[in-house]
Amino acid sequence: MNDVLLLLAVALLSASQVLQKVGATRRLAGKQKPAEWIAALFSPELAAAIVCIVVGTGLWLAVLYRMDVSRAFPFLSLTTVVVMAASRFLLREPVSLYRWAGVALIAAGITLVAST
Amino acid sequence: MTARGARWLGVACLAASIVLSALGQLAMKNGMRHLHLAGADEIAWPITSAPVRAAIFWTAVGLAAYGASLVAWLAVLVRYRLSYAYPLLALSYVLVYVGATHWPQLLEPATPTRTVGTLLILAGVALASLTGGGSAR
Repeated sequence: MNDVLLLLAVALLSASQVLQKVGATRRLAGKQKPAEWIAALFSPELAAAIVCIVVGTGLWLAVLYRMDVSRAFPFLSLTTVVVMAASRFLLREPVSLYRWAGVALIAAGITLVAST
Repeated sequence: MTARGARWLGVACLAASIVLSALGQLAMKNGMRHLHLAGADEIAWPITSAPVRAAIFWTAVGLAAYGASLVAWLAVLVRYRLSYAYPLLALSYVLVYVGATHWPQLLEPATPTRTVGTLLILAGVALASLTGGGSAR
């Protein structure tokens, strides 16, 4: 059950990154005034991104409360890989082999940092 | 704005979101630590207990830093590809580790495994940002 909730948190936090990127490109590019930025935060993309962050973080903290960090963190490192896959396949960004290798190292590093 | 100025602003936003996100984590952790120090009977209204006040203060600082880091991150995403910027955000894990092991209020133990982990993250970030193409959208 906890694992399912953690996977859901990973999905929400990754989705939030994609939504933030889409929102930044569509709603924020070229905008300079603070008022324009505040208005943009209520656009569908960025509002959804914020909801995903809040729910994802809440879920993450709720599970962390009942679970060892060392067991939970490998799931968080998954986010790095999922965001990279989403950048490549949803946003159609070019991702070099070096970058994939770097992301794999980062994911391994995050797992080690959380281990006891 | 000149191309050079725009580039500098992009790097500044990236640095700000990485540092603010790490500061947010450390402040929230310190807030939770203070809450842990308070007895159950101290968590009551009106707030007179010093640990509870400290807990609220640090948690608020943490949330504010988190909010500011989110705004800086949006400014980053306006300028860079997600696949370029996101791996760099992992540098905040390294800052959290250095902060948690050195901030006198926390002083969490450094372990060889964790140190190897932060070095792996650094190597990964270097490798991921080696190939350019970040500034195109």
